[in-house]
Amino acid sequence: MKYFSVEYISIFAGFILLLIGLWGIISQKNILKIIISFSIIDTSIHLILVSVGYIKNRTAPIIDGPVTRADAAQQVTDPVPQALVLTAIVIGVGITALMLSYALKLYEKNKSLEIDKYKSLKW
Amino acid sequence: MIRNSILLLIIAGLAFIFYHELSAYHGNDGLNETANYYATKGLSEVGAANLVTSVVVTYRGLDTLGEVTILFLTAAILALMFKTSHSQKETQKRITSELLITASNVLLPVIFLVGIYIFINGHLTPGGGFQGGAVLASAMVLMLLSISGRKIKHAVLDFIEAISGIAFVLLGILGIFLAGGFLDNSIFSLGTFGELFSAGAIPVIYSFIGLKVGAELSNIILVLNQTQNVEK
Amino acid sequence: MVSPIYIIAVLLGIAFLLGLFKQPGANFVRFAAVITLAFPVFVSVGWLIHFIIDPAEPFMVYTAGALPPFSINLKMGLEEAFMTSAVNVLGFFGFIYLYKTLKAQGEKAVVLFLVLIMGLNVVIMTRDIFNLFVFLEISSIALIGMIFFKRDLNSFSAGFKYLIAVTVISSFLLIGIGFIYYLGGTLNIDDFIANNNGLTRGLSTAVFLVLIAVLLELKPFPANGWALDVYQAAHPGINAIISAGTATAALFAVYKLLPFGGDLWLNIAVIIGLITFLGSNFLGISQKNANRLLGYSSIGQIGLLLAVMGFSKHLGEHFQMVFFALFISHFLAKAGLFWLSGLIAKDEIKDWAVLRKKPHLLFLFGLFVFTLIGFPPFPSFYGKWQLVMDLASNYNYWWIGLILLGSIFEGVYLFRWLGYAMKLEPEEGSSIKLDWEKIIPIAVFGLLIFLASYFTNEIFPSNFNINLIPVYFVLFLFVIDFLPAYIKNTIAIAGMGFYAYYIYPDIEQDTLRLVFAGIFLLGGILTMFAGYSVKGRRPGFFPFAIMMYAGLIGLVEAENLFQFFFAWELMTLGSYILIIRGKKSILHAYNYMLFSLGGAYMIFMGIALAYNGHTSISLEMLQTASFPGWAYTLLALGFLTKTAALGFHIWLPGAHAEAESDVSPMVSGILLKGGVFGLLVLFMAMGGEQAGEHPLLYALGWLGAITALGGNLMAVFQEDAKRLLAYSSVGNLGYILFAFAFMTNIGWLTGLTYSINHFLFKTLLFLAIGGVVWRVKTHNMYEMGGLIKRMPWSFIAVLIGIITLAGIPPLSGYAGKWLFYNAVITKGWYFQGAIVFFAGTIAFLYCFKLIYSIFLGQPKDKFRKVKEAPIWYLIPQFILMIGIMVFSARPDLILKPIGDLLSQSAYFPTDPLSWENVTASTNLGYWSGYKIMLVIGGMFVVLLAWLMIMSRKAKNVKQFNIVYAGERPFTPETTHYSHNMFAPFNKALGFLTTPVVTDFWNGVNDTSHAFADSFRKIYTGNGQTYIAHILAYIVIVYLILL
Repeated sequence: MKYFSVEYISIFAGFILLLIGLWGIISQKNILKIIISFSIIDTSIHLILVSVGYIKNRTAPIIDGPVTRADAAQQVTDPVPQALVLTAIVIGVGITALMLSYALKLYEKNKSLEIDKYKSLKW
Repeated sequence: MIRNSILLLIIAGLAFIFYHELSAYHGNDGLNETANYYATKGLSEVGAANLVTSVVVTYRGLDTLGEVTILFLTAAILALMFKTSHSQKETQKRITSELLITASNVLLPVIFLVGIYIFINGHLTPGGGFQGGAVLASAMVLMLLSISGRKIKHAVLDFIEAISGIAFVLLGILGIFLAGGFLDNSIFSLGTFGELFSAGAIPVIYSFIGLKVGAELSNIILVLNQTQNVEK
Repeated sequence: MVSPIYIIAVLLGIAFLLGLFKQPGANFVRFAAVITLAFPVFVSVGWLIHFIIDPAEPFMVYTAGALPPFSINLKMGLEEAFMTSAVNVLGFFGFIYLYKTLKAQGEKAVVLFLVLIMGLNVVIMTRDIFNLFVFLEISSIALIGMIFFKRDLNSFSAGFKYLIAVTVISSFLLIGIGFIYYLGGTLNIDDFIANNNGLTRGLSTAVFLVLIAVLLELKPFPANGWALDVYQAAHPGINAIISAGTATAALFAVYKLLPFGGDLWLNIAVIIGLITFLGSNFLGISQKNANRLLGYSSIGQIGLLLAVMGFSKHLGEHFQMVFFALFISHFLAKAGLFWLSGLIAKDEIKDWAVLRKKPHLLFLFGLFVFTLIGFPPFPSFYGKWQLVMDLASNYNYWWIGLILLGSIFEGVYLFRWLGYAMKLEPEEGSSIKLDWEKIIPIAVFGLLIFLASYFTNEIFPSNFNINLIPVYFVLFLFVIDFLPAYIKNTIAIAGMGFYAYYIYPDIEQDTLRLVFAGIFLLGGILTMFAGYSVKGRRPGFFPFAIMMYAGLIGLVEAENLFQFFFAWELMTLGSYILIIRGKKSILHAYNYMLFSLGGAYMIFMGIALAYNGHTSISLEMLQTASFPGWAYTLLALGFLTKTAALGFHIWLPGAHAEAESDVSPMVSGILLKGGVFGLLVLFMAMGGEQAGEHPLLYALGWLGAITALGGNLMAVFQEDAKRLLAYSSVGNLGYILFAFAFMTNIGWLTGLTYSINHFLFKTLLFLAIGGVVWRVKTHNMYEMGGLIKRMPWSFIAVLIGIITLAGIPPLSGYAGKWLFYNAVITKGWYFQGAIVFFAGTIAFLYCFKLIYSIFLGQPKDKFRKVKEAPIWYLIPQFILMIGIMVFSARPDLILKPIGDLLSQSAYFPTDPLSWENVTASTNLGYWSGYKIMLVIGGMFVVLLAWLMIMSRKAKNVKQFNIVYAGERPFTPETTHYSHNMFAPFNKALGFLTTPVVTDFWNGVNDTSHAFADSFRKIYTGNGQTYIAHILAYIVIVYLILL
């Protein structure tokens, strides 16, 4: 039954999302859909990372309320993956913005959002 | 058909890799050595109630500096990419509903306040510079929607961005001289644990981060908004 | 020392600050950026010097007031100092190069540049894996913001492809990092390496994800289409940063992370690296776009460096030196090449012909190419040598083979390209805009190559000391290249003369070496005399001529195989440039270079095979080679490419014939002896007479015989005088090979006599014909005729030359023949001997054709006023003729000491030849050059006198006064039958000269081009396909690893 607890579900979902995102990237022709696939991948990675730091029956790593300073180490989840996710989210935002603006520029140049219309460079 | 089968094969291969990774996952029983350090010694060393914040701003402060830089870069690249566009023409007027204008007049100060609250309390609550900055930027979205046609100056945003960025770096350097190293937060007194004025430089740094992130995201939105007007 | 953390603080702080100064101070922004970029150079170079002078413990930068693994730390050790110095120097000069481009783009672009350099520094220094990820992202994003500087469709689409590719790659990196933290409990690199020895399946998968991601950042073949497109589309100034900067940092990231995977991943790095090196360079051979080609080359070089990292265990203490040498060559040359490409601002490699208008830039281009390929004295030569030797001592022969094969592919396109730049006619109206801010970085990197070469030589294991005096002399000649030709010629001759004097005491005892040193240096001086007839500056000629001679004399001086190979490559480099100077030499020089490269690598491989298990590298080591069969065969094949044995000869005729008039004697009479000397060194190693019937010798004997026949046959049917002589050289070298392959005392004596003779008469003939060609401006013999009256001295020279060549008594050619018969009979190779004898008779045909077509018969109208060949051509001819006379009359002067040497040596104790004053005798008979000279001389005088007396009654008539003939010729040509002179023979034997070999090599060429051409179609240009490549690559590597 342990596989039905939240951390297993979330990490499993994370990997499924990751595969869906990767599939989207290599199968979708439309650049916007590809960018959406990247967002899915981002989310999936965040899910995976957060699950990695989760500890059953523990709370957020903030010393407040029930969590006391003295035995914080026994009460909180791992703060590191959360910090990593925070960084990863910000990077993801930057990358997405870049992708979208590139898409915009490509559309401006060639009036198309099909990725196989941009093959002038090859071999 | 062949193409899709190959692609499916690739995805199946990746699934195989991930399966191996996933099967290594067995949950956690307790904090590992690193996390344990943060949850015990870290409390007295950094003095932030929010452990994530102490990791983000202090222990992994260099990452955070990088993060801010990435947003900074993104904003710069967007400005560079659409540079020819936004300088040339007047943005078109769009008719904005009275409702939106009134609501935004009411909401804007509140949103600003919330944003500032979030980043100032980053060391105590589940908030911080990035979250607060994002809230600030949402105010910018609202402004753009409601106050159509008015030019929001890049210069102001750039100024905030530059000043807070430099302040971040300078605070980091101060750490070398006054404390244990770059980005050490104990350059200021750690104060009483759990108070607003505690955790040394963290609230200050997080405030600058908040301002910088807010300015950067606003810049991104602004640039994209202006290109949208040009597109028409 | 300034703490490296300030690199981050200053670059980032200034980058943030520059946001404030956008509107008014446009120039101020860039000026401030230049100053800012100088700061990290100052810091990192300071550390580098510090670590070189005093190899101290690495300096650690701790952040956040906590110790690792709990906080992020940066490391500054020797390796980091070197890599950051490279990146920062590149950043500084790259910025200067891009100055105007960045100005056009605005201040944001400057900011991107600063942040990029900052990011690369952190990637190199950080010891935290997630921090590495963040700063890799920063550098990638900053780059993505610079790829579209051209703002055309191509640059945007390339940027987008790059963006999605690096995002996919970093996703895998991030997942891997997550699991490394989960399973390993730390993000600190050192901590992880120290505490995780046994990798479980889950952890090894996590390590796999991390390592494959960082490896993919290096653009491994074939999952690298995205990077190639960027190289093609982006501004060359940016490409320089990508190729030399970003790749450097990524490479170092791999270096830091490789220990995660233990020995297994070292092997993976080797495989991935070498596949990339081989594949990329192979596809490069059919690439025409300059920037894309540089991209292929760049990726290939990074692959090689990756493989070197994988070899680190084999290399042991040499690792740093090998890596440094190969890295610095790639770094400096690739940045320089991309920058040059930006100056030329055209896409096709053929457009680089415009460089011809700017010799200094052309020089730099050549410098970069030779550095990349690994010619001495450049660092990569040392690096490749040490790499190959260390691999050999661990029995990694296949790896060596792959490395050398990849290097050949690299040579194929780089030398084609260099040839285009040197020889093609630049397009009408094309020109190079000389912006100083662009020239300076290129020049600085060019200078740095020399500095790096010096430094590599210094850190190279000391027992391989190279005598650098000739190299410095070559450099000196480069420096004074602005002077007029006659001054430089005098300096060059003086230099060679001095050097001959300088090394004489060293080789005085060793007659064999003395003979070759004489051929190389004194012969060299003779050929240089002809150079006085050239007016003007003759830019670039003298350094390379001297470089060739320096290489040749280096062969003689070499005490160990390293010095030998160094000299060999130096000679190749110099002679290549000499050959390509000819008007129509582009193809021939290219062929020459490819055969030379192939030959050099065979020699290299042979040396490596021989080296195995030895600690010393002395020449004697060859005698105890571990795999003698393979080693000797490879060495022999390598030397045979230089002596143009049949099969490898196709480069020679064109190269020798199309070369400049005074270069032909150098490359024919003298250069070919370099290969001969190599063969001698090899044969000595094979153990002299004991080698006896070694199958290789037997094969070489046959090859020599067939080469003699083939070369001479082909010479007969030439219409081009220089081509005729060139083919004749092929044949003569066949004799020499045949004679040496006997491996008997007298056989060697024969071979040496042939070698000396060939030097004398071929230099003489090429000088004489060169002098004629100088005047008549054509190589075609049927266009000449009757020149005897206009050029009597040249006629005499040619006459003497062909008498020697044909082996007619009394001249020294006959000495060779006499020895040859003795040798054949004692050895018993009658059948081969008969072939060679037959070849000798064929030589009569072309000798006759040469002198008849040019000097006899009726003069042509247009050459009635032609003058005798320049005096500077005649002087060396007469010296050579005197040489021939002396050698003919007193062969004992040279042959006796050589014979003594041979019989005293352990190799050839049986000496069937005995000397009595001038008379040599064997048990088959005797011969005295002196007496024959007297007899024949006497006959000549008598006949001449008789002729004179008889012709007193003869009446001189005008050319067209043929009153006794039936008809009167209207053009002189009709009375002079020289075109297609030997048509009947051609009918009979012409089938033997069908260019089978040429067809074969053309076939090899076409097939490989076609193959490369079809394989590179995998780079479809579709960004999505590239992603699929990356994913498939990940899956395949994983499956292989399972």
